[in-house]
Amino acid sequence: MKDLLPFDHRPDPALGEALRRALDPGDGTEGTAAFVARVLARAADVPALSWDLVLARWARGGVAAAILVAVAAGYLVGRAGAAAPAPRPTMTDVLLAPPAHPREVEIVLASVIDNQ
Amino acid sequence: MADPPRPPRPGPPPLPLTSQPARQAARIAEQDEADLVARAAAGDRDAFGALVERYAGVARRVARAVLGNPEDADDAAQDAMLSALLKLDQYDRRRPFGPWLLRIVANAATDRRRRRTVRRAEPLDPGFVAGGPRPDTTAERRALAQRLREALAELPERRRMAVVLFDVEGYSHGEIAEILGIPEGTVRSEVFHARRRLRALLVDWKEDE
Repeated sequence: MKDLLPFDHRPDPALGEALRRALDPGDGTEGTAAFVARVLARAADVPALSWDLVLARWARGGVAAAILVAVAAGYLVGRAGAAAPAPRPTMTDVLLAPPAHPREVEIVLASVIDNQ
Repeated sequence: MADPPRPPRPGPPPLPLTSQPARQAARIAEQDEADLVARAAAGDRDAFGALVERYAGVARRVARAVLGNPEDADDAAQDAMLSALLKLDQYDRRRPFGPWLLRIVANAATDRRRRRTVRRAEPLDPGFVAGGPRPDTTAERRALAQRLREALAELPERRRMAVVLFDVEGYSHGEIAEILGIPEGTVRSEVFHARRRLRALLVDWKEDE
């Protein structure tokens, strides 16, 4: 085992070997074989990733993305329409439009007629 | 700082700087693993079995470093292998397979430890509990292993995994950073602190002898 320096990041074979022995299940190749057999037995229940499954997974993702894009586009279009400025009236529109304060005009006219 | 040469580990070995045949062998091993992954992803269970066999040892040890108990560790390693099988189509084949798989193993072990409400203590080695004279080297080794496991259990989980991946499994700091999802500098620090604690234990042990 080497002396420990603050920046010593070399591998330590003695410590590594001791830790390996401490963590090793200790069941040897038979234990490993049993573990592999156990995993493979469980893996038999997992459906194989065939092309149609992969395509189906992609298709699900694609449909979800398309819905999101459509919702976002709808929201943006609606927001843009609501925020658009009203067109400015032309001079003709202004002249033909009814007066904003008709009562005031009538009072003025009546007073002029009365004076005559 | 560049990592020094590493001890052997599962999967394709790092490319050596010396001999041409060794370099070719490493390339073949890498190609072999990429081929196994591709075949496993396409549903070839024999290829998946070869991958499980290749990584069984490291997966079980890393899980045990987190969980302590060997049965729980095997369950976590098994869950991780099956999870990896389901996610094989998400694996980026330009990157090394080992760190990708071990990240799944580390997450599976961590999740299992969090879910474990009642902590089941691993039975102590009878020879260690007795505390009497050590009859032979095997008993000594067992007792040391027991003490190391206890010392590991006292370390924070990330520190534990970092030192096991570095000193036992031979992964580089960069690869461990990828596995644990932390910066490389943090990995160096975690390894340093874990080794300081564990080395002290080993020194004490030798002095006691």
